[in-house]
Amino acid sequence: MMKTAKIAIVAGLVAGMLAGTALAQDKSLNMIVIEGGDTTAMQAVVNAYEAANPGVTINLQPYPFAQFFQVAELRLRSGDAGIDLVYVDAPLLASYASRGFLSPIDAAIDTSSLVTSALEAGKYEGAQYALPINNSAQVLFYNKALFEAAGITAPDGLTAGETATQAEVDELAETKRWTWEQVADAARKLTVQEGGRTTTYGFSVEQFGELYQLQPFGESLGTDVIGPDGYTAKGYLDSEAWTKAATFWSDLYNAWGVSPRSLGYGEGAQLFGNGQLAMFAAGTWNIPILSETDVDFGVAPYPYFEGGKVLTPTGSWYVGVNAASANQAEAMDFAAYLTTNAEGTRIWFDSLQQLPTYKPLLDEISTDASFDAFPQNVFRLGVYDSLNTAKARPVTAAYGQLQDAFRTAFVDIANGVPVADALASAVQKFESAAARVAP
Amino acid sequence: MVGDAPPVDRMTNSRTPVLLIAALLAPALIGLVVFRLYPIALAAGDSFFNVLRGQRVFVGFDNYIALLTDSIFWNSLWVTLWFNLLINPIQIALALGLALLYVQQFKGVTFYRILFLIPIGVSLPTAVIIWRIMLSQDGLVNGVLGIAGVPAQPWLTAQSLALYSIIAIATWKGISYWMIFIIGGLQNISPEIYDAAKVDGVKPWQQLFYITIPLLRPTLLFVLVADVSINFLLFAPIFMLTQGGPADSTNVLMYEAYKSGFIFGDMGRAMAIIVVVVAILLVIVGLQFRLLSGKGAR
Amino acid sequence: MSMSSNPVRQGLSLGAKHLVYALVAFVFVLPLWWAIVSSLRPNAEVFADIFPFTAKALLPSPASLEAYTGVFERGFGMIIANTLIVALITMAAGLVVNGAAGFAFAMFDFKGKKYILTAIIISFMLPFEAIALPLYTVTQQLGWLDNIAALIVPSIANGLAVFLFYQFFSQVPKDYAEAARLDGVSWINILLRIYVPLSMPTCISAALLLFIFQWEAFLWPLLAMPSQQFKVIQVGMAAFQQQYQTIWNQLFAVAVITALIPIALLLPLQRYYVQGLAGAGIKG
Repeated sequence: MMKTAKIAIVAGLVAGMLAGTALAQDKSLNMIVIEGGDTTAMQAVVNAYEAANPGVTINLQPYPFAQFFQVAELRLRSGDAGIDLVYVDAPLLASYASRGFLSPIDAAIDTSSLVTSALEAGKYEGAQYALPINNSAQVLFYNKALFEAAGITAPDGLTAGETATQAEVDELAETKRWTWEQVADAARKLTVQEGGRTTTYGFSVEQFGELYQLQPFGESLGTDVIGPDGYTAKGYLDSEAWTKAATFWSDLYNAWGVSPRSLGYGEGAQLFGNGQLAMFAAGTWNIPILSETDVDFGVAPYPYFEGGKVLTPTGSWYVGVNAASANQAEAMDFAAYLTTNAEGTRIWFDSLQQLPTYKPLLDEISTDASFDAFPQNVFRLGVYDSLNTAKARPVTAAYGQLQDAFRTAFVDIANGVPVADALASAVQKFESAAARVAP
Repeated sequence: MVGDAPPVDRMTNSRTPVLLIAALLAPALIGLVVFRLYPIALAAGDSFFNVLRGQRVFVGFDNYIALLTDSIFWNSLWVTLWFNLLINPIQIALALGLALLYVQQFKGVTFYRILFLIPIGVSLPTAVIIWRIMLSQDGLVNGVLGIAGVPAQPWLTAQSLALYSIIAIATWKGISYWMIFIIGGLQNISPEIYDAAKVDGVKPWQQLFYITIPLLRPTLLFVLVADVSINFLLFAPIFMLTQGGPADSTNVLMYEAYKSGFIFGDMGRAMAIIVVVVAILLVIVGLQFRLLSGKGAR
Repeated sequence: MSMSSNPVRQGLSLGAKHLVYALVAFVFVLPLWWAIVSSLRPNAEVFADIFPFTAKALLPSPASLEAYTGVFERGFGMIIANTLIVALITMAAGLVVNGAAGFAFAMFDFKGKKYILTAIIISFMLPFEAIALPLYTVTQQLGWLDNIAALIVPSIANGLAVFLFYQFFSQVPKDYAEAARLDGVSWINILLRIYVPLSMPTCISAALLLFIFQWEAFLWPLLAMPSQQFKVIQVGMAAFQQQYQTIWNQLFAVAVITALIPIALLLPLQRYYVQGLAGAGIKG
């Protein structure tokens, strides 16, 4: 047995070396990616890369969004060498890196052209494990007709028919950003009830109870959601700042009744597009969807709490290299092309229209006249926020635990569970689950 | 263990055709061992390990011991038991009732039969999506109730209602399916028995409890075991609708295990919970065999 | 019996019967009806009359077939055909394999039978998610990834189906087999000539079980077909729920199509599973 095994290993090595020399020009890489627009955009980048690098083919393996994380987790955990490049959601990076799923990014790749905060979010324990593909920005959509009908002044924002330079957008974001108090005030006036049923809601967030969207709520009041160690929530999530933020959240649903409970993915955009929602705190990715509807809308900066610091959600998709991949150098080269190359980043941006992390593209958005008009000028709001107010999600190997405990608490609060109970329970749940994976 | 073998005739026993038995069993057993039991053994083995800094570390029974003092686990266990105590009898009773409606013969019954089959082809995720929208605060169900003057109910967002709404959705999805099995069982009951009962002046409800149900025992045992197993493992509607809330009122063990394994990257705890669930299931299924098999299977 | 003597009461009871059936059917139909109506609306209007609910939500206005044409433009015809191939092959092979095993367990006594039966029952007691990773590794080692065999073969042997056949064959009186054996009939002929014809309703139940297992399969097709060239229904449907929006009307269109196919397959078999049953149960 031993002998045959040894022979097999030697034969394998020899074959591997032969293959290594013979096929150095001919590599086939696999990348897992999210089905839909992301895959279309990635395929465009791949086509350009393959044209410039004959002998390398990159096959995309698209998975539906809702199952992507589960499938990626299973395949990475199995040490599957059939994946070379991994599409990584920013907050999962630490979890992947801490379990050795990703190779550290080749230090030779020049990352100086990337937005610093986005680059930082790709690090775990000081080492770079993934490169940012694009960024995200949240804004406040508002329905102009509903504001007019209610006879109240809409927030200052970017609207159809008007142009805005980067300097004008900067001024808007710096000085005319609404507070959550103003949002709540207007929302109460905008909400319409008929026969005990709400026919128009004043305000809603897009991602009901999700940390991504709500993290600035408490943090803008001065306290991070968890401690710097990544595993402590006591004194953070149950702090005075978070209690105040959570009370505001509770009032939206319970005291004021201005927000619809438990909206699923995509349903907020449907409500807003039907003219049944006056204000919608949501991602800029909704612009093409909402532009197809009849609603005349404006786009205002993401609000903050009065007296608090302006912070906005950020972070999106990264690319990493599977540690089990046999094609490390080739995979690194494509990752660099996708994120730090003028051609690769442009193709991605042109196809998917997401806020870039590549600085030359941000400069172009700020200065090029083609971004003066609405809705293209909304990108300038994203540029301002990503350079000034963006606050990345916490880096912790227990991010899944945090996200789950946070969502549970905020959904419960919206459904009427007392704020103090929900936050205390979230702290306890997060800490006990996180302790099991803490190093 | 479970599965009291039926009384086997000495005569067939004495000439047991070993090769034939092997040939009949081999395909199914090989398939089950390779694609189910071997993966199950590997997965169960994970409950004795934890992953620390990418290294798999043997921890013995630590993951099980940790469950003993884990209040989330205990809460989840009670939710699971209560959920199953309700959903299984409800589903089986309704499936039996539906089967009895289905097999009646009268003009126009075929139309109803088609409608009774609808949920079979609607996949569980799709059923859940449809019901979630219908059960929302301003949705269709509350709208229909509003016409009848009933105030809107927070079906999926109130601690007092969410678990029961999930039971209702799963029951809507499940009973047509189980109905088909029960109809198959009804088919094995000889019509002469009913004719004889009629001659003796047996009332319909007596016929149901003293003839139909006892003679359906083998089928009911199958449906009971299968339904209980499926419902103990059920977590997709919870994942899609309530994510264990409100206030953990729908946090069944399987969902807790799913979160540990797939969201928390803590496979050791996930598999320990699943092994506990399987142990509970085995006890319950063993009891069901004691109660429903044995004699009278004819 | 007394009812049949009185035509008025008989008419009343027929009316009551239809009322009961219509009420039960209403509960089954309502969600699908709403799905049908929604599938006929343009995507932006799916929620127009739902939040808050008005009776208009149950009427397809404005109506358009855009969702159905859209679904087939996405290649859903191929996806449905793929799923039917996988499900029907699994069903046919599964009936033979699991039926044979159920027969052997019911007919013969042998050493270790109880333990094997227990193992078979355990085989369906774990959630698929728990064994997905080891099963993926096994399939990878067999070299079946991206091969249709990976979708079909692991699902043919089914513990529930073995158990179902075992339960059925155990209730068939042993005298049948014994008498045939004394006449020198081979076991295979006993199985095929006596037991299989008797087991038609059970075969239909088992076929349904095997078919629906594949019809609803989701996580495994995602894992077993990594290149995603060969898609099945649930995987195809997941594409409607995208990262930033959901294509509701197409989602509902596929829900309607996929709900109707199993019914269309099941109805023609009705004569095998509802024959001579008029007397069963609660008939008055």
